[in-house]
Amino acid sequence: MTDNTLIKVENLTIEYPMADGEVFRAIDNFSMYVNRGQIVGVVGESGAGKSTIGKATLGLLDENAIIDTGSVFLEETMVSHLEEHHYAQVRGNRVGYIYQNPMTALNPVLTIGEQIVEAIEANTDLRGSDARNYAIDLLTQAEVPLPEERLDKYPHQLSGGLCQRIVFAIAISAKPDLIIADEPTTALDVTVQKAVLDTLVRLTRQENIAIILITHDMGVVAEMCDHVYVLRHGKLVESGPTEEVLQRPTQSYSRELMAAIPRIDHKIERFAVPGGLGQAGDRERAIAYLMDRKSDAGVEGQPLLQVRNLSKTFQTKATALKSASSFKAVSDVSFDVFPGETLGIVGESGSGKSTIGRMILGLHQPDEGHEIIYRGRNIADLTSRQDKLEHRKSLQCIFQDPYSSLNPRMTAGENITYPLTAHGLLDRSAARQLAGDLMELVGLPRASARKMPHAFSGGERQRIGIARALSFRPDFIFCDEPTSALDVTVQAQLLNLMKDLQDQLGLTLLFVSHDLAVVRQMCDRVMVMKAGEVVEAGPCDKVLVTPDAPYTQGLLDAMPKFSFAAAQ
Amino acid sequence: MLNFILKRLGQSAVLVLIMSALVFIGMYVVSDPVAVLAGEDFTDEDRAALARELGVDRPLVVQYLSFLGNISKGDFGTSFVYNRPVLELILERLPATLEVAFMAMFIGLVVGIPLGVYSGLNQKKPATKLTSFLTTVGYSVPNFWQGVLLIMLFAVWLQVLPASGRGDTTRLFSADWSLFNLDGLSHMILPALNLAIYTICLQTRLARSGTQEVMYQDYMTFARAKGISRDRLIRRHLVRNILIPIVTITGLQLGALIAFATVTETVFSWPGIGKLLLDSIHSSDRPVVVAYLILITLMFVTINFIVDVLYALLDPRIRYT
Repeated sequence: MTDNTLIKVENLTIEYPMADGEVFRAIDNFSMYVNRGQIVGVVGESGAGKSTIGKATLGLLDENAIIDTGSVFLEETMVSHLEEHHYAQVRGNRVGYIYQNPMTALNPVLTIGEQIVEAIEANTDLRGSDARNYAIDLLTQAEVPLPEERLDKYPHQLSGGLCQRIVFAIAISAKPDLIIADEPTTALDVTVQKAVLDTLVRLTRQENIAIILITHDMGVVAEMCDHVYVLRHGKLVESGPTEEVLQRPTQSYSRELMAAIPRIDHKIERFAVPGGLGQAGDRERAIAYLMDRKSDAGVEGQPLLQVRNLSKTFQTKATALKSASSFKAVSDVSFDVFPGETLGIVGESGSGKSTIGRMILGLHQPDEGHEIIYRGRNIADLTSRQDKLEHRKSLQCIFQDPYSSLNPRMTAGENITYPLTAHGLLDRSAARQLAGDLMELVGLPRASARKMPHAFSGGERQRIGIARALSFRPDFIFCDEPTSALDVTVQAQLLNLMKDLQDQLGLTLLFVSHDLAVVRQMCDRVMVMKAGEVVEAGPCDKVLVTPDAPYTQGLLDAMPKFSFAAAQ
Repeated sequence: MLNFILKRLGQSAVLVLIMSALVFIGMYVVSDPVAVLAGEDFTDEDRAALARELGVDRPLVVQYLSFLGNISKGDFGTSFVYNRPVLELILERLPATLEVAFMAMFIGLVVGIPLGVYSGLNQKKPATKLTSFLTTVGYSVPNFWQGVLLIMLFAVWLQVLPASGRGDTTRLFSADWSLFNLDGLSHMILPALNLAIYTICLQTRLARSGTQEVMYQDYMTFARAKGISRDRLIRRHLVRNILIPIVTITGLQLGALIAFATVTETVFSWPGIGKLLLDSIHSSDRPVVVAYLILITLMFVTINFIVDVLYALLDPRIRYT
């Protein structure tokens, strides 16, 4: 490497002691180089050890972390092994840090102004009103509107995008040589993400600041980085110029990773990753059970679900300090879902997409004047206990967060069959049998039905959630961002599973997501929502390819583009 | 805001009403003031005359209603035993209790919070383990026993502090205070310390668990990454965030210190309202007991109100949502 090298990570191994006396290797013999002004991507799935590299550079590792071998050099300084008080010259001053979630990176009880000014005073010679003026200057550069007013605000009063711009302003305040950006846009909506990244690039190009961009988003890497390192389980899988690694990966893991990324440009049959349904021999009983459901699921060409004029207004109560207010989450939405199809609902956070599903399931009471007709019956007319139970069995849900949607005090099997046994529809031994069958159907070992939810990974838990929804033999499943908490390869496996199930069972799905590419891969038709209203609806091939609405076009443009040629 | 204050006042009025009714019935069931106050040689006629004089010959309901009527005129009644207005009696004793309670709270906060923050930041140091041991002991050893030990140590063996009484007092705002002269202060130290031990333990634990929680928040890591000094990190970022649970408990604790200092006041013969309450219960001096409890209820309501206002000052999320 030349004199231009800014960061040199050499043979770095970092371990954490675990409760059982074993050690966990967060980073295993990893080396990387960053030149001045270069943007380098570090990609990998959760648990790959990406963040550990950034933390080691700034001395922010947890107390029990052990740097076993190797070191991190910032030019001549070995920054991985400094005494705590020597980091004052590194942190903020030479290396800026951008945190994943801007809403939690800023202290909730201090004003924005105080948090910027303290960083300026710690790392520059500016004091008092000079520091404050410089803070305003920085916010202006970071494209924060009304910078002077914002200084007196608190983080919760601003949006996530604005908070992240404020974090940028703090990170560049001392004109550092390097910025470590740890998943800087993961918590943001796609349109905000693009603008925020543009700002980051512009700010750093002005000052020739290098960036280590830690992310799981290949699209962002493809658009921003010169050089990329792919990590898995703390080990380097491969590295090289971005174009090279992303388009012609040499290692099987990198290939799998690239193939798992949902594409926006055209729909593929399945993702080229292993792991869909369980083994053919294992799943027969479950399939037979599921196919045995009443076959009045719907008539071809007749809508299974009709929704008319659906609205929802949330009211807040008057409190000691504030008067009552109302917020319209969904306004006047109408649509049909036909048997066996998948209707997608996309939109940014707060657009009301989940609220629609929750109203259909009866978890929220819609405003007056609506009509929800399911299998030809208005659900308001279902009054008898028996009718309601039949209706609920036919309509099921898969939740967004696999960690909180399973009861942690029940085994996986009990989670799957509890609703049926609670209604007295199944005795204990039949329940055990069914739980095992469904576990096998979704690709989990039969025996693990006896394990508790915490023993499963996020993707496995989501499979259990699917098995639970299936236990009712439903006709219709509302999927509320079922993969947004999962890694990209796990997401691909789960989406494969859902496609297979739909093929086998003819399920009807209402699929809510913020990810246009996922919707493109999963759905036949799509509804684009913004602030509670439907902007545009139609077949995916039309709406996500040649949209009519400028808003949809904006969403598509904002998406970081990445398409892996070899996946075709 | 005004709405909020009025609502709170309304709630406390209801509370006072229920409380006074309960105490009225309770005292009526438990003891008969005539039996306690009457001499050995009282005839039945004398007893009837005494009952008339005290007003306890009437039905309980009538007594209660006339009591409420008097309260609305600002008259809390006259003590059966001392034959003086109850309010005067209580206000005379109140400063002694207030000053010792506030002193104890002050010691508790000044010692407890730094100790807790230190323990939270240095979880593995021997000093932390010692602190943890001592706070457990402080919690578990009964209050009166701690008082006796303090007297043994400082008054009997070392002979540096007086064991009982209030010492010299200074007249200020038409009340007597021990706080403002050396002799009075030396009398106050032991009872205040006795009351403070529990508070210190509580505040240490609160501050420690708060620190352990806040230290691992993202904003703490980010603040460190900004390169600000450790001192500033702790003073501004950490302490501001752990204050909310501390303020809650401090409010409740302060009320408890004032209301239930009885044991300490008895051990140290400190002439506060706690001791007055105990004496009055023994002599079934109902007007004093009722008035005392009403005042304590009002005090709790006031403290809680102040705590609510402090919340909003400490946490902008409460202020603006």
